[in-house]
Amino acid sequence: MERKNVSSIDYLLLIPGVGFILLFIGSSIFITITQSFGVLSVTGKSQFTIENWKAIFHDKESLDSILFSLKIGLLSSVGTLLFAFPIALFLRKGGAGKRFLASLIKIPLFIPALVAAFLIINLISYHGIVNEALLALGIIKKPLRMLNDKFGWGVIVIQVWKNLPFVLLILSSSLASIRDDTIDAARNLGAGTFSVLFRIYVPLAMPGILVSMILMFIKAFGDFAIMSVAGPTYPPSIALRMRNTATLFQEWDKAAVLGVIIILTTLFITWLYSRLAEFVTGRK
Amino acid sequence: MAATKQKNLWYVRQARRKRRFTTLLTVFFILVQVIWVGVPIFMTVLWSLVDPSHPWSFPNILPEKLSWGQWIYVFKYTNILRALKTSYTLAPCAVLLSFLFSLPTAYVLGRKQIPGKKFFQTIVLLPIIMPGMVVALFLSRVFNAFGLAQNFFGLVLAHTLMGLPYMIRVLTTSFEAIPQDVIDAAENLGANTFVKIKDIFLPMVRPGLLAGMIFAFTTSIEEFNLTFIIGTPTFETIPTILYSFLGYNFIRTNASVVALIMMIPNIIMLFAVENFLKSDYLSASLGKL
Repeated sequence: MERKNVSSIDYLLLIPGVGFILLFIGSSIFITITQSFGVLSVTGKSQFTIENWKAIFHDKESLDSILFSLKIGLLSSVGTLLFAFPIALFLRKGGAGKRFLASLIKIPLFIPALVAAFLIINLISYHGIVNEALLALGIIKKPLRMLNDKFGWGVIVIQVWKNLPFVLLILSSSLASIRDDTIDAARNLGAGTFSVLFRIYVPLAMPGILVSMILMFIKAFGDFAIMSVAGPTYPPSIALRMRNTATLFQEWDKAAVLGVIIILTTLFITWLYSRLAEFVTGRK
Repeated sequence: MAATKQKNLWYVRQARRKRRFTTLLTVFFILVQVIWVGVPIFMTVLWSLVDPSHPWSFPNILPEKLSWGQWIYVFKYTNILRALKTSYTLAPCAVLLSFLFSLPTAYVLGRKQIPGKKFFQTIVLLPIIMPGMVVALFLSRVFNAFGLAQNFFGLVLAHTLMGLPYMIRVLTTSFEAIPQDVIDAAENLGANTFVKIKDIFLPMVRPGLLAGMIFAFTTSIEEFNLTFIIGTPTFETIPTILYSFLGYNFIRTNASVVALIMMIPNIIMLFAVENFLKSDYLSASLGKL
């Protein structure tokens, strides 16, 4: 760190990066908000109105979409954590075999989301290998509908498959920062496996757990591509509904309301994260 | 003598048993992982090689005949070549631009104590945090107004936007890691700003720079939302082509070929640059919001 003499040149140097991001993201958020109130509208007259908001909140289909996206976001992030945390614990201390395992696990990180969706679709489709294997083993009588199913299992499986390495990387680095001394001390004092897990590993890895959960929730909640190829026909995810409302039905103002709802949820979740992180680490 | 005696001690036996258990567990996890990652990829390879004249359908466990027919078909009759060209010209442009834009910003965030630093570091993550489809849809209104929609330069700007967070965050950590002594020593020996940049900053942030570039590059190759809204139908990239094969007219064999085309370079890159992808970089860049 250099000393305190702050010059305005430092702020000027921030413009290319921070300014660029602020300009693009800021303008799109600004347009979303104004348009949701009918101002700066592309379709029809520009006039302040809250009709669009009322319409969305009285529309059962929109509410279904919001709830569905919330559910998928929550289940995919918790599901990924349940898989990733034990693996991260297991990989904490590495030998050659574990390093090989770690690089195997990393592969889906480099497979684009849409490709990942397709890979999994291949497996879980009606006559896919998973159904055929289950049939052959006599576990099920007729193929299960896992793709475009009403509940959204297909989407959750894809999200878990794709994001497992990402969550694992973040968890691994927060687990790596736990010193062995701490664990040895706890064991010396008579802590069993269970209390080491829940009173040392989990609390100390909490910042990593929180951040990976937040990022995964946001991704799965606002997702468009995976939901549109593997999600149920009804309800569509909120991002899918927003895009269709805008480009198919040309109701940009209503789409903007949905956009604002997605942004607000994201911001709320991020805010919740920062409060939880303060609470967990005990500092501001 | 002492060694043989030690072998029979109970804690040595226990440690050995524990080690054997860990090895077994590692092998088990590797097997699970090979199935978890390998089977989906293998099935896609198989689907892409199904001969067009001998369709692979339900009762057959394996396809009757394999051939390159699907690959030839996709390259001959779809827009894939154009999409490849667009994707692979777009990505280097976006990487270059995000490198140029992020360098000064990362320098300030990494080496200067300025008020509001935490705020700026959060702003930098906005393109990752903000839901992609919302940004894409309403940025397209702005781009429309400035004639940047359906425009190559507009796409480069959009992809730059998505690459910047990784670039800035990774470079910031690299700048932070430079010891102040080195800079002080150089200044003492009379180095000016130009020399400092050329001989200290750039060489010392190079590993981070490479990691950032790889992140920005793969982000651009994978980018779907912005390209789909702002670029199509004038510009097709590999993800938008794949999406069209996965959409209403689902063509599994074509999609398999395109999926592999999109995936292979990425996986090669993963193994080529294992060194730069120590988990530190990703977690350093995203570990804190």
